[in-house]
Amino acid sequence: MDLVINPWLLLLVKVIVILSVLPLAALVGGYAEHKVMAHLQHRLGPMYPGGWHGWATTLADAVKFLLKEDLVPDAADKRVFGLAPAVIMVPIVMIYLVIPVDRNLVVENLDIGLFYLLAISSVSSIGVLMAGLSSGNKYSLIGGLRSAAQLIAYELPIVLAAASVAMLAGTLSLVGIVDKQHWMFALWPPGIGLVAFLIFTLSAVAEMSRPPFDMPVAESEIIAGPFTEYSGMRYIFSHMFPEMGHLVAFAAIATTLFLGGYQPVVPWAPLAVVPGFVWFLAKTAVMVFVFLWVRPTFPRLREDQLQAFAWKVLIPAGLGLILATGAWVVYVGGA
Amino acid sequence: MSDSSRKVARRPGFGIGLLKGLAVTFKHLFKHNTVIQYPDVKQELPPRTRGVIALKEENCTVCNLCARECPDWCIYIDSHKETLPPKHEGGRARKRNTLDRFAIDYSLCMYCGICVEVCPYDALFWSPEFEFSEYSITELTHEKEKLSDWMATVLPPPELDTGAAMPDEERVLAAAAARSGDPAAAPEQPTAAPEQPTAAPEQPTAAPAASTSRGAALAASGQDPDAVYERVLAEETAKGSSDRVATARAKAARMRAIKGTAAPGITPPPSAQTSGEEATPPPSASPATPAATAPKPSSAAPEQPVTPVRAREGFPVPPDPGSLVANVRIPAPGPNPPLQVTEDAQAVYDKVLAEQLRRGASPGVAEARARVARLKAEQGIGRGPVAYDEQPPLELSVPATTSEPERQPAPESQPPPEAPARNPEPSTPARAEMPATPAPLAPAPALGPVEGEDPDAAYERVLAQEIAKGSSERVATARAKAARMRAIKGTRGPGG
Repeated sequence: MDLVINPWLLLLVKVIVILSVLPLAALVGGYAEHKVMAHLQHRLGPMYPGGWHGWATTLADAVKFLLKEDLVPDAADKRVFGLAPAVIMVPIVMIYLVIPVDRNLVVENLDIGLFYLLAISSVSSIGVLMAGLSSGNKYSLIGGLRSAAQLIAYELPIVLAAASVAMLAGTLSLVGIVDKQHWMFALWPPGIGLVAFLIFTLSAVAEMSRPPFDMPVAESEIIAGPFTEYSGMRYIFSHMFPEMGHLVAFAAIATTLFLGGYQPVVPWAPLAVVPGFVWFLAKTAVMVFVFLWVRPTFPRLREDQLQAFAWKVLIPAGLGLILATGAWVVYVGGA
Repeated sequence: MSDSSRKVARRPGFGIGLLKGLAVTFKHLFKHNTVIQYPDVKQELPPRTRGVIALKEENCTVCNLCARECPDWCIYIDSHKETLPPKHEGGRARKRNTLDRFAIDYSLCMYCGICVEVCPYDALFWSPEFEFSEYSITELTHEKEKLSDWMATVLPPPELDTGAAMPDEERVLAAAAARSGDPAAAPEQPTAAPEQPTAAPEQPTAAPAASTSRGAALAASGQDPDAVYERVLAEETAKGSSDRVATARAKAARMRAIKGTAAPGITPPPSAQTSGEEATPPPSASPATPAATAPKPSSAAPEQPVTPVRAREGFPVPPDPGSLVANVRIPAPGPNPPLQVTEDAQAVYDKVLAEQLRRGASPGVAEARARVARLKAEQGIGRGPVAYDEQPPLELSVPATTSEPERQPAPESQPPPEAPARNPEPSTPARAEMPATPAPLAPAPALGPVEGEDPDAAYERVLAQEIAKGSSERVATARAKAARMRAIKGTRGPGG
């Protein structure tokens, strides 16, 4: 991109783009979740707001939440309580900094993009823990602790799967990783890529606290977990936006690491006509659908089942994956 | 995931079961959904839906069975006795119950349907209409006019299962049709009747009327019922009757031809009279003989071609088999004239009829639904909720009753003039704790401002008081509303 423009202006554009991604993801993703879940269950979902198939539902929801009263419990630690939504929100916004939508369409092409991504995406769990501890509510506390335990348990498999990708690609730059993939899974030796993708996807569902791994916010047990005491605007910033922001972010990360990002699905010349960002967005949409599809399909697990699955299955599998990848890189030759 | 707590023996499937689950939900993504967008699209409810209870007033004999069986005591019936002069010289005067009030309080009704089941004379029916919510609980008491209006929305009963026993009405009709279908057998039939007294209960009203009927003469002369239908239809059309009326009268004529009963208000030709008289069986066992002949003054003729017997004019008789069927299939038009015609009702009728037939509904159901649609179009029913401001002012006056119903707890001090207690038994204990105030249901403003305060005045007064006391606006409004409701219902407020 050889545009000669004022760097400050460029910065402003970047900031605006990044800040608008999350609300957009929340509105579109929220609508998609309503509709996909409804149709998976033989329902129609929202049909009235906006006129056409209820397209303005999430917009109306957002307006409703913005107009609600902002309540802070007496027993809450008010400063931490007020700070928690920001700690949850900001890291999720910052995830989108390094995701390459097209080869040249990336806000910051960091050399350590993957490292940055993994680091920043786990910060928001601290915000969730803050919310749980500061609410002065036992359900919030239980939810916060569950969230922390889940973070520790599922961050490891994600890191292992991502490390496997980095070893094969030989770089931590996300643009570099995508460029090494000629098409979906083309980078990966047989088996390794698929296992890494599975481990990553399962852990991502847990990391997002989405069903069937949504014990931190299990409404039938602990109301809304750490977000029980939040209302109005704070609820949007602590739960609604982060939920959808996380969803889209992890779909985009999975697209980048495993599905070839902005590359065409198969290396066939005519497909190259389609611009890269279209490929990226289409693949991300498919991943979002997969995450939404899982939700109405499976019932929620128990907390101990969740932990057992991480420590007994995913983490050993991830360690084995690292071993296998290392062997492949050394003896067969990586990228 | 692999740690299912199920006790069922499991084979290690490596997540195949999870994929199967995903496949199941994915397949459902492409199936047609089953949602009916209710306020926009209304489901066609089956005939036995328990929506609202309709009253066929002319069938009611004021036997009070429904009111007594009602578990909620939500049916109010008032009646008085009338003495009818003897029909013949030297006869005995007859007494007869006349219905003054029949009301169902739908705020108490639990839709169990016991009243419909228990009614011995088919005066109560289920209608599938269910959208009759009101802004005020007092308007949920439907008086007999409103209950009769619901009658037009009653659907014909569903088809019988194959192999089911034929209902009595149909059996009698079939037998009558079989008899009158054979012209040679028709004259013999009455003479055979006295020898078979068991045949008399089958047609208690039809048999005596058969003697003097033009229909019998027609049947005797071998008149085809369908020819009668065509002829009457042509006559009525020539007279300029509406399509519906013409069809109804033609149907009634055909039915009379089949059963050999007399048309209302038709003086039989003398020749038929004499020949019929000697052939008539004296139905000794039938108590309905005077009743069957009673409702045949000529005044009853023109309006009611289908149900010549109306409770208002004669002692309510057990309806003859023909009109039993007719009760269901051809409900009388509601007593209220159309409020306002905003849509071409007949066009609605035709449209719905065609639509129903196209969708495979049976002709009876199709016709009934079309009729309901036309009625709604005529009366402007079912056009969505009416805004509260457009509601007529709250009217609480109850039709005057000539007799005090027995089971109403009458307050000792001053019985309200015309206010049957709305809450019969269940709420009386709660009320007993309060000062023994008469509970005027409809406190007219003339009764004075202290007890029977005007509801709106009470609202304004309490609102002003509460605001003066410094209550928040919400609390003040709520208390004022409560006061208005108390004024409407005549109860005392807390503390006072």
